[in-house]
Amino acid sequence: MAEIAVGIDLGTSNTCVSLMREGKVEVLDNVYGERTSASVVHFHEDGSVEVGNSAKAKVIHAPAETVSSAKRLIGRYHFSEEVEKAQAVYAYEIVESANHGVRIEIREEEFSLPEISAMVLREMKQIAERHVGEPVTKAVITVPAYFNDNQRQATKDAGRIAGLEVLRILNEPTAAALAYGFGMGLNQRVAVYDFGGGTFDVSVLEIGKDIFEVLATCGDTFLGGDDLDDRIIDLLADQFVADHGVNPRNDPFAFEKLKLAAENAKKQLSVEEEVHISVANVLTNEDGTALGVEKTLTRAEFAILTHDLIQRTFKVCDEAMQQSDLTVRDLDGVILVGGPTRLSIIREAVEAYFQQPPRQDVDPDEVVSMGAAIHAASLVGKAQDAMLLDVTPLDLRIGVAGGLAEPVIERNTPVPIEQTRTFTTFQDHQESVQIRVYQGDHRMAADNALLGEFEFSGFTKGPRSDVKIDVTFEIDADGIVNVTAADQTTGEAASTQITLSSGLDEQQIEKILEEDVAGRVAAAVVPPESAIPEVAEIVSEPSVLDDDSLFGDGSEDLSVGRPDDLGILESTEDDDVGDAGDLDLLEDEELIQLTEESNANPPTDESPEDNGFFDTSGEDLAGPEIELTEEEK
Amino acid sequence: MSSPAIDALEIGALSKIMDELDYYQILNVEKSASTKEIRQAFHSSSRTFHPDANRERTGNLREQCRQISKRVTEAYCVLRDSRRRQAYDTKRAQGTSLRIQIAEARNAHVEQRKAERCGATTQGRQFHGKAEADLKAGNLAGALQNIQMALTFEAGNAGFKSMLEELRERQKAIS
Repeated sequence: MAEIAVGIDLGTSNTCVSLMREGKVEVLDNVYGERTSASVVHFHEDGSVEVGNSAKAKVIHAPAETVSSAKRLIGRYHFSEEVEKAQAVYAYEIVESANHGVRIEIREEEFSLPEISAMVLREMKQIAERHVGEPVTKAVITVPAYFNDNQRQATKDAGRIAGLEVLRILNEPTAAALAYGFGMGLNQRVAVYDFGGGTFDVSVLEIGKDIFEVLATCGDTFLGGDDLDDRIIDLLADQFVADHGVNPRNDPFAFEKLKLAAENAKKQLSVEEEVHISVANVLTNEDGTALGVEKTLTRAEFAILTHDLIQRTFKVCDEAMQQSDLTVRDLDGVILVGGPTRLSIIREAVEAYFQQPPRQDVDPDEVVSMGAAIHAASLVGKAQDAMLLDVTPLDLRIGVAGGLAEPVIERNTPVPIEQTRTFTTFQDHQESVQIRVYQGDHRMAADNALLGEFEFSGFTKGPRSDVKIDVTFEIDADGIVNVTAADQTTGEAASTQITLSSGLDEQQIEKILEEDVAGRVAAAVVPPESAIPEVAEIVSEPSVLDDDSLFGDGSEDLSVGRPDDLGILESTEDDDVGDAGDLDLLEDEELIQLTEESNANPPTDESPEDNGFFDTSGEDLAGPEIELTEEEK
Repeated sequence: MSSPAIDALEIGALSKIMDELDYYQILNVEKSASTKEIRQAFHSSSRTFHPDANRERTGNLREQCRQISKRVTEAYCVLRDSRRRQAYDTKRAQGTSLRIQIAEARNAHVEQRKAERCGATTQGRQFHGKAEADLKAGNLAGALQNIQMALTFEAGNAGFKSMLEELRERQKAIS
């Protein structure tokens, strides 16, 4: 029986679907003939949903009903910096749900981020089905290597909501390396420089024939192609202010126009030495006159404008080289991923850093989805074996006394892996223990992302050092974390598949599936005539721009963005750790003590499915009492 | 996907004795194996036990492969890293434990250095502490006496020895 499994690169800016058939990988185009689709979802008045480049065209006229860059928000808490940033930039409504979750409110309806991403994935599913002529139900979906567990889980949920069995959550750079080296019998060490729309990742791999072993992966979660655009937007906005004395940043419509012009200028600078940016109607004056902006930008000026951003990527590269115990001279190839890597200023900088020209034979926009398709085919037995041996990008930690988080599994440890730590209670006849799990590279618990927290009470009560609790941390091949606690003597266990409080629980997912939220994405039809000219009106202004190159063949394919960031929670008050720490490291033993939790009431306003997550924005991650107070208010 | 080259009986047997194997045995390499050999062993074991290689298996068998795979990764993780490997070898030579915490193994050398500096035995630490205190108080003779005492408990402690030498030098310089 033919089993069809596709590979989907779900990017911040663009999404791409590929399929491996008869030993060949094909990038599947949509009805417009576009090989990548904007990761944009537009909600019509009747509740139906449009996805892709035509949806992106709607953003200028209906910014509040058009959701872009959902990937920046998926798997995050409402108080995170990234959500705050998005609220400032996007016109759509971002609201807070229970347990600090994030919802998007459109036309008085609320959607979780996995639902929004599911709509993009549903579009990809439909594109694939149009190509194969039968239902497509299996997929490998890629995520930035630096995605934490919350973000991976949420992406997996999105796949499920879209009606896809997610065979694997795969790291983007790993997928790129697979597409590069698959079936070639290579014996190489390569670096994958992945500059996406929202995040920068670099991975170093050793390819030995059909084994792809990731030696190290590092990332900067707040750095992407969008940051390059922002520099041009600032330039245009400043020019506009100088010309007209009005700040266009405050008007969402004006902002979207400048954003689009900036994005296009950036793309154009990868082919032209100079671009003349001209937006005729940024804002309309009170008397009805259109206020525009014009600016000429050379490649050299753009390089100066973005120098610091690009240098930041090489700091991350330094780290990856160091973690993999290699020097750039040990590398046989450098693979570029992500739309921004088409920019000559980036290519030149990469060549200078790695002391070799990057590979030219890899398409930075399509390579990730192609790699995902190869892996998908391999997982359903339709391609020869290619083993991917990946690593976990972040330290997995457990909260201990003093507001600290002890690493249990360090970053760049191969997966799947399991580690068990033995703990003891802090007080005699303690009723329960609280186990908090973090991901991140910081010693202070509060500086890391809280993955989850659960209470374990199923142990024998007794004098403190008599009680022995084994806590087992597992990271599976998807990079997804599972934690279990068990009494060493009775074997009684409590476990949690750690899920983000703002994520969806099983019940919610089932409800969404029942409502068929992803079904709002209409099957692809020939594009409405209106969609294309609307955008062309804006972009045809720049004199050097060629309309065809911009919108004729998949307009946005130059800016495939993908990585998002990692969601390390912002540190709040490091010093306010109190002495209510939950776990205590004993100096000379492997035993760690867990404090008494029985005096703290369990959270009352949380459903049990949420595993009793707590506020992580609050002042004190280590002090359960304070957290509970926060939670109960 | 070609079927993994191991049968159900072997997997069952291996999964039963997993807790009795050390990392070298798990990867099936010599104690003297090079990093390259360890990597190759990891690759070939992964090919057999990694969850991706066992998607076609079901139930208990699949779970057993998964469990073995995690141990294989753990063994590789320790043996490929010279510091972790050293810490593991030391631990193996001392006692019975077949496993080591990977996150702690990395820091084992730090602990070792700390032990060298401050002492590995209670009395050693005690007298070393007194010597340090004497030194701070300017009592060179007392410091000398105490570090010599510390050395009677830890004759091989390089840190104590160098402290003793340094103190003797200083005493010479004074007299």
